[in-house]
Amino acid sequence: MISGFESANGMLDSRLFDRLLGLALARGGDYADIFCERRHSSSFRLQDGRIHEGGVTLTRGVGIRVLVGESAGYAYSDDLSETALAHAAETASLIAHEVNSGIRSVRVSNRSVSPLYDQSRAEHAPASAYVDLLSRADIAARRFDPRIVAVNASITDDLQDVWIAGSDGRLVQDHRPLITLGVQAISKDGNERGSGYVGDGGRSSIDFFQTRTPESIAVEAARISVVNAEAIPAPAGEMEMIVGCGGGGVLLHEAVGHGLESDFNRQGVSLYSGRIGERVASELVTIYDDGNLPDERGSLSVDDEGTAGQHNILVENGILRGYMQDRLNASLMGVSSTGSGRRQSFRVLPQPRMSNTYMPSGQSSHDEIIAGTKRGLYAKSFAGGQVEISKGDFVFMVAEGYLVEDGKITAPLKNATIVGNGPHVMTQVTAVAGDGRLANRHYTCGKGGQYVPVGVGMPTVKIASITVGGSNVG
Amino acid sequence: MLDESAALEFANSSVKSALRSGATQCEVGISISKRFACEARAATVTKLEQSTGESLHARVFVDGRKATLSTTDLRKSSVDALLKGLVEAAQFVARDQFAGLPEAHDGLRDGVPLNLFSDELAARKAEPKLEEALELERRVRSADARIHNSNGSHFSDASTITVLANSNDFAGAYRSTRAARSCSPVADDGSTKRTGSYGTAGRHLSSLEPVADVAKKAVQRTVELFGAKKPHTMRVPVIFERDVASGVLADIFTALSGSNISNGNSWAVDRIGERIGSSVANMCDDGRLDGALGSSPFDGEGVPTGRTVVFENGVLRSYLLDTYYARKLSMKTTGNSTGGGIAPNTFYLAPGACSLEELIASTPRGVLVTDTIGFATEYATGTYSRGAHGFYIEGGERAYPIDEFTIASTFAEMLASIDAVASDLVFDSSIASPSFRVAEMTVSGN
Repeated sequence: MISGFESANGMLDSRLFDRLLGLALARGGDYADIFCERRHSSSFRLQDGRIHEGGVTLTRGVGIRVLVGESAGYAYSDDLSETALAHAAETASLIAHEVNSGIRSVRVSNRSVSPLYDQSRAEHAPASAYVDLLSRADIAARRFDPRIVAVNASITDDLQDVWIAGSDGRLVQDHRPLITLGVQAISKDGNERGSGYVGDGGRSSIDFFQTRTPESIAVEAARISVVNAEAIPAPAGEMEMIVGCGGGGVLLHEAVGHGLESDFNRQGVSLYSGRIGERVASELVTIYDDGNLPDERGSLSVDDEGTAGQHNILVENGILRGYMQDRLNASLMGVSSTGSGRRQSFRVLPQPRMSNTYMPSGQSSHDEIIAGTKRGLYAKSFAGGQVEISKGDFVFMVAEGYLVEDGKITAPLKNATIVGNGPHVMTQVTAVAGDGRLANRHYTCGKGGQYVPVGVGMPTVKIASITVGGSNVG
Repeated sequence: MLDESAALEFANSSVKSALRSGATQCEVGISISKRFACEARAATVTKLEQSTGESLHARVFVDGRKATLSTTDLRKSSVDALLKGLVEAAQFVARDQFAGLPEAHDGLRDGVPLNLFSDELAARKAEPKLEEALELERRVRSADARIHNSNGSHFSDASTITVLANSNDFAGAYRSTRAARSCSPVADDGSTKRTGSYGTAGRHLSSLEPVADVAKKAVQRTVELFGAKKPHTMRVPVIFERDVASGVLADIFTALSGSNISNGNSWAVDRIGERIGSSVANMCDDGRLDGALGSSPFDGEGVPTGRTVVFENGVLRSYLLDTYYARKLSMKTTGNSTGGGIAPNTFYLAPGACSLEELIASTPRGVLVTDTIGFATEYATGTYSRGAHGFYIEGGERAYPIDEFTIASTFAEMLASIDAVASDLVFDSSIASPSFRVAEMTVSGN
């Protein structure tokens, strides 16, 4: 019996999963699975110094998938009656064409999972607790500087329960908490406006904000906002770049990470296809994707196909070691899943995705790297980025950036964009500092219209040359 | 699965349930959507997805305190319990004199049918849809020797019932369809892989661009950039091809939407009546274009849609508003509510008279941008900066392809220096633009 997931007729049970998996494979197929999801979010938003809105989201439904060769049939239902679920299983089965295959006998049983996070918190905190955190953030941001003219803050506490049943007999359950507090501060200095955003949280509860206080998040957002209001237009053209520790990890995520997702590699559309064992970066570069880090947004006890998250080595001392695999692509490539099969909800098929992608510390120091830079951009954090998978061209928006001249940080820069090519920039890494850490926990990654929480991290890194797209032609 | 009248009845009964639980006002919307999507790669159908999904959205107001709900669990007992919890959550929200439903109005504007539903599309079987995706694959893979791979070819469609009811006696429902076909070939010249993509969407099968044209344009986009160079850093005229141009309009829309204006998170605060753009900058938002993807009889809070002039000969005439931000800014709603935010109906730039080719021919030296990557988040400062690729223009012709560069300016400067607009406007999205030229921008490369 699966507790907490009630259907119209009572409870979903293991024998119902057996019947549905049997129906799904009735026309043949290599594998079938069922993804049941119940997700309950509570959120509050602050604007103009007041709690502006409260919200509740409840997502509840079942997705049924049939795999045959490289093809997938899929159907979902938010009606949990056995009739509706049987219809979904039959619809998913249409991808397969075996005649008279007959109903396959499947019997699923519970597999134990080592949980990475608290499995017991079934309820949200009282509304007053969320509201209090937002008010504290608002006050702290406004107190930081009189130029702060507006503060928007929001908190979302998300509890997702999943049950995954596969035709290999697996039945696993995971209970996934995810809390995020975000603060945007807007400042006005004469005619110049600036904006700063900082978010943090993780696979934790509201208790997280006892040590990482809302004040500390708000002050960081306010500080970035004021820096941006004072910033000068970014210079345009090629220069050295220093990538800041923590938030700089967005660079790895975009410039390398997406290109190592197994769907693109199995299909041969990534520039990293077929290159395992080859040198793809400077020997200073090592990159991990780790779904097992405590509290991080990208961590999962099991992925959305029921495979445990793990520590995956993507690049080691510049050599490409492996891809991130989901079940379908792993099986077609003759390897095992790396626990990277993720999906936004029961309404969509899983894809191979990153979890927490980071570069470990190196031998240099942050101060040495700054001191050794003649003229460059110090990108302390990024607001986001995008990559084109086949050729590897990427773009990043710098959230907080500074000009470095003759070894010294001289001026904040407004809205610099950097553009480059992933594989090329990874050969340009000339120093890696010892200050590696994971970034604030607020990143969400989009792929094919599906959004999932991820973590990124990095030490301070020097890149010999990058193109900065500013408006100031110097 | 609910039909149109049962969904409307359920929405109405949910409104009443919220009032019984202590709400002073309530609005409930239900969406029921039957979706189909398929993907083909080479000669194989690699994805086949078919489902019907229901969702319910509600906003409750308790003496000016607002709380919102979104759920896929449409059992009456579940919805009633969630609404009751929502009324309780609203106690923690500050009272806001501007919060509430739109005023009761005289029903839908003119009753003119908007042509949003296609019986042909709703009744279409799976086989011809699969065949379309396979045909796109055959066409792109046989078009050029350098193309022997793809990210897949796709066909998708949906048939949707939308209903909305509120405690000011509004009750409305409509049916709509949409379909899209797209493909994304991958070319390899032996040293570099390149991906291009092209797609078309509409409410009727007949409004989609033909399969052959979609394949042809995707192939062209994929191979045309081979041999691209990185340009020098320079200030030159920049032509935005129409898809890229509509991306610029999307950022303009966001900066002009009531929430950002009200929060001071926009370069356009307090600028109504000001001449910001050039004389060819004419933009409007229209919810009543025949058969357009952005059209609907009423917006997300039941306000009849209409036409809003946003820029008239460069003069900013209106922001884009819902009821809440209209009240807050002492303006009138423009019918752009989604029920929770502000979104375009069809927001577009009025077309000019010349073709894109004529626009290029009239540019002695400049850059044609065919695609951008990256996205702006800085609406407060109005800075525009994107990674881009396209062509270097010399003597009015595409001299050679260029990539790995950025273009940068501010939205106000770009609007002021739009000096020519092409005629290639197509309403294939809720934001649409013809190609246009900006007289001068920074291009950053070597």
